Amino acid sequence: MRNQRNIQNSNVPLAHSSFMTFLSVNDLDVQYQSQGKKVHAVDHVSFSLQENESIGIAGESGCGKSTLGLAIMKTLQENASVSGEIIFDNKSILTIPVSEFTKNIRWKQIAMVFQGAMNSLDPVFTIKKQFKEILKKHDFQGDLKQAIETAISSVGLSHSILDKYPHEISGGMKQRVVIAMALILKPRMVIADEPTTALDVLVQAQIMVLLKNLKKSGLGIMLISHDLGIISEIAEKIGIMYAGQIVEFGLLSDVYNNPKHPYTIALLNSIPKLGNTEKIIPLKGNPPSLINLPSGCRFYDRCSKAMEKCKVEPPRIKTASGFVTCWLHE
Amino acid sequence: MEEILSVKNLKKYFTKKGLSGVSKDTIRVADGISFSIKSGETLVLAGESGSGKTTIARMILRALEPDSGIINFEGHEITNQQDSLKKIRLGCQMVHQDPYASINPRMTVLDIVREPLEIHSIGNKKEREQLALQALSQVNLEPVEEIASKYPHMLSGGQRQRVAIARAIVTKPKVVIADEPVSMLDVSVRIGVLELMKELQERMKISFLYITHDLATANYIGNRIAILYLGKIVEIGPINEILSGPRHPYTQALIDSISYPDPENLKRDRKIRINDPLDIDAYQGCRFRARCPYAIEKCKQEPELEEISEGRQAACFVKIN
Repeated sequence: MRNQRNIQNSNVPLAHSSFMTFLSVNDLDVQYQSQGKKVHAVDHVSFSLQENESIGIAGESGCGKSTLGLAIMKTLQENASVSGEIIFDNKSILTIPVSEFTKNIRWKQIAMVFQGAMNSLDPVFTIKKQFKEILKKHDFQGDLKQAIETAISSVGLSHSILDKYPHEISGGMKQRVVIAMALILKPRMVIADEPTTALDVLVQAQIMVLLKNLKKSGLGIMLISHDLGIISEIAEKIGIMYAGQIVEFGLLSDVYNNPKHPYTIALLNSIPKLGNTEKIIPLKGNPPSLINLPSGCRFYDRCSKAMEKCKVEPPRIKTASGFVTCWLHE
Repeated sequence: MEEILSVKNLKKYFTKKGLSGVSKDTIRVADGISFSIKSGETLVLAGESGSGKTTIARMILRALEPDSGIINFEGHEITNQQDSLKKIRLGCQMVHQDPYASINPRMTVLDIVREPLEIHSIGNKKEREQLALQALSQVNLEPVEEIASKYPHMLSGGQRQRVAIARAIVTKPKVVIADEPVSMLDVSVRIGVLELMKELQERMKISFLYITHDLATANYIGNRIAILYLGKIVEIGPINEILSGPRHPYTQALIDSISYPDPENLKRDRKIRINDPLDIDAYQGCRFRARCPYAIEKCKQEPELEEISEGRQAACFVKIN
């Protein structure tokens, strides 16, 4: 059986933690040192995922969601200090050496589509050259041409694109190319960080259709986004992040149909819908800065249900399929 | 309601030049755009990037010279005469998309909001300060005095956008052009800014030209909507009617592409009723023909906007239902 330890050793209630835990993150903590200040980007985050499951990490800018993805990929900057545990397929990602991670896991098991990656394609090389570079870096033994063509077909592009330069193709195509690059070594899981931002609405929807199809073919996806709508297209589970913490986690259907944390409720309410022009009551205030975070509940200042107790950090409280960190549900 | 701003047959073509300087490509960013805004209403201009939304806004304020067409503001045609330019630039203000780029990081909030008054020489120094502080309190930036002395980097995105709105309303304009004013903001503060705009509209009788690609927020704030595709309006009319029953295939595709947070989405197949683009000249016939799943032979001719019900027009031979 894969990793059972998070169930025994952790007091975190996790959903369906019976067997086949594919990825589990336990008490992950990331702090950046910046100009003498500590930025607490990820604060004791825990969640778990089964094989073939996808998760959405939702939150606003600066809540630490990208840092969470980078930590799993072991690609954090040098000024970051990490603690906690990330278990992927029975291997503890944080304790194995980088060389081993690169050799066995990075891109081969878990790949990432970075935020804005389509703008990082090198303008002076053809798409094919850039694919070859990845394969070389990862010591790919096999038919290069075939691997590249399979990857490019899997994202619905024609092979003719391989001889083109990045400026010759559209934004949506570039995003597909970047996704194909993540898929080329056939990873079991892809972390996609805001894969649809900066794209036009129609192209966004087409990229989501692509991700949906990839998911159907068995790929696990961790989708990092601020958009609760697109997350619901592919994720079975969702973690809502606020100021570095996951404040609510569980099956997406539970979280959306029966949100528990006042922040989750506010987020879901703040999305206008066609055909419904009812007035929405805006959430007051702004998300806190991750430098000098207040003690107690971080949503305290903005919460309409805040009470005296909330000045103390709320515990993780078990819900039907996950947890919520809020005193209201004690 | 009286008409406050109208544009007629506005055209702007850009020509991309090749390396040798021989003209290569002409892009019609605005190709015969006509619409009008009534006093106190919000007209939404919606479309993808490159459809010409921002170009239209820039032409209204004469930041860009139109190739042809007429812009009428408060019953007067806007020309290149100094007094005419002053009139539109005083009575029609703009809120830009990115509040991190649209306000000067070296100026205090007070100076930023006061600047339009100085440019238009309104009041004396003291009055200007009063008006600026008043505008800040109208956009609910409290405590006003404290915020006024701050620099933009000390503010959050939502607060910055409120400063940009305060700067836009300080001259008491009739029309405010808001170019994607919430797309850069965090989800939880968007509604706050939209509600603020609604509130200002009611209190100051401002008309908004709201430019966006996000139909859901558009529906929240708009009264009427014009859907733009490659420099042309393909559908225009009351926003509820259009978004609940689009007649142009492009409008339908835009609506298809919205994802609401819904657990059922996971099991559902998503259909966006649009084709992969054909390789044909977009300016021959209907511009949407290359991607339209409903295209017929007749679409090789260019459709014009036709009235389909009161106050509603669509430019399509098929007019889906």
